[in-house]
Amino acid sequence: VYQVFESVAEKYDVMNDSMTLGIHRVWKDILVHKMNPSPGTLLLDVAGGTGDIAFRFINYVRSVRERQLQRKLKRQQNLSWQEIAESYQEEKFKSLGDSQVVVCDINKEMLRVGKQKAQHLGYSEGLSWVLGNAEELPFDDDKFDVYTIAFGIRNVTRIDLALQEAYRVLKPGGRFLCLEFSRVSNPLLSRLYDLYSFQVIPVLGEVIAGDWKSYQYLVESIRRFPPQEEFKAMIEDAGFFKVDYQNLSSGIVAIHSGFKL
Amino acid sequence: VVRCQLSPPQRALQASAVLRRVSDEQKKEPSASSSQQQFDSHPTDQQPEQEPQGPIPSYTGQGGQESEDYESEEQLQHRILTAALEFVPEHGWTAEAIAEGAKTLGLSVAAAGMFHSDGSELILHFVSQCNTKLSELLEQEQKRVQLGEAEKKPTDQFLRDAVEARLRMLIPYIEKWPQALSILLLPHNIPSSLNLLTSMIDDIWHYAGDQSTDFNWYTRRAVLTGIYNTTELVMMQDSSPDFEETWRFLENRVADAMNMDNTANQV
Repeated sequence: VYQVFESVAEKYDVMNDSMTLGIHRVWKDILVHKMNPSPGTLLLDVAGGTGDIAFRFINYVRSVRERQLQRKLKRQQNLSWQEIAESYQEEKFKSLGDSQVVVCDINKEMLRVGKQKAQHLGYSEGLSWVLGNAEELPFDDDKFDVYTIAFGIRNVTRIDLALQEAYRVLKPGGRFLCLEFSRVSNPLLSRLYDLYSFQVIPVLGEVIAGDWKSYQYLVESIRRFPPQEEFKAMIEDAGFFKVDYQNLSSGIVAIHSGFKL
Repeated sequence: VVRCQLSPPQRALQASAVLRRVSDEQKKEPSASSSQQQFDSHPTDQQPEQEPQGPIPSYTGQGGQESEDYESEEQLQHRILTAALEFVPEHGWTAEAIAEGAKTLGLSVAAAGMFHSDGSELILHFVSQCNTKLSELLEQEQKRVQLGEAEKKPTDQFLRDAVEARLRMLIPYIEKWPQALSILLLPHNIPSSLNLLTSMIDDIWHYAGDQSTDFNWYTRRAVLTGIYNTTELVMMQDSSPDFEETWRFLENRVADAMNMDNTANQV
């Protein structure tokens, strides 16, 4: 698995766009919207490599924070000058409101590409990059508000261990969110999808990234991954409650959500 | 919280053990527990509420403690929503208020993700709580009348007092209540909110001593629903001290209704 992603790291984002025809951006947006993070949330993004989810999280939290501050200012219209001056000194008007993302990945290359992207796009505060294995996270218990893993869990050898680790590092009340390829229920769409996956994707892999094998592996790993209901049961076994899933693009991708209660 | 890896039938078995354990613990929020009866729009795949009078255990959840606290998901959700109510005047009926409520219970703010992001569940929970409180009030009053400690009120007085008592419960949240009303009218909320409204009106008439079995049953409830809704709207815009205008409006509407009834009878 490590070697696959080493070779894949540089071209990861480009390949994502071409394989999914850009829809992966929408999927990731939907994931962050579903999360609906409030400022002050601590997010752990596992297998987050190039930082897609992390950047979206930061954008979302920033805009929520802006709206919060606007509302606060509106309410302060009737204050005396004294009170206004005091409130300026109190808050530094933190634009992120104490929210933080920790991006954890098993692969140095993916993290390197992610850091570069962050610098390039201008994301500086609230981000950390940590090297780690999803089956054995280098974090303490009960630390994070939200744990996300987007298109990463199918690459984990022992999924149950990863789920248990997720449970461990989440605070009570914390949320587990997983965005992953899943089973398409519609038979016609399923046939088209199979055709596309096995014929088109490895070819794209060869043409754009010069790597047929990795993308062949990708498509096969998608097929091997358990279907929605089975994965939901696995999450429940790890101890999560209110486990539910939402199919996107009629099952090509699914978001599973669970809470540590 | 039931930490288990059991299949559904086994979970149900555990539920009966849960409730025996629950009855040993102290009562914390009686209103929250009895509100579960009326609020039935929650589809749960977990244990159904078997003991409506069951007291809720005190939350002892520290990460390490394993089998100390037994509570179903729904009970926990009710506790979060009740805790969230105190943040409503500041944040409105939103997911933010729910997140703050979760924080006071020691949970992560992400727990607010369990609920709909528009705050519907919070409002429905509040309405259901108010209705339960109203029922309890009316029940106590009825007992007092039966014991001879109080006089039985004439119908119009009774209706006025009941509606006034119920509307007074809105006063702490009155600024954000228009927002709540608009959310309750959203299509996906209408079944639940209508359900709560009709059961409340039914309750009031029941305690007023209505035993009609003919079409009157419908007209009486329809009329009272109309009175309640219009008074609520008047209350939103009332700025008089202690809402005097609203109570006067209520008095007039109830008097109208009584007159209508009499005229109908004469005809």
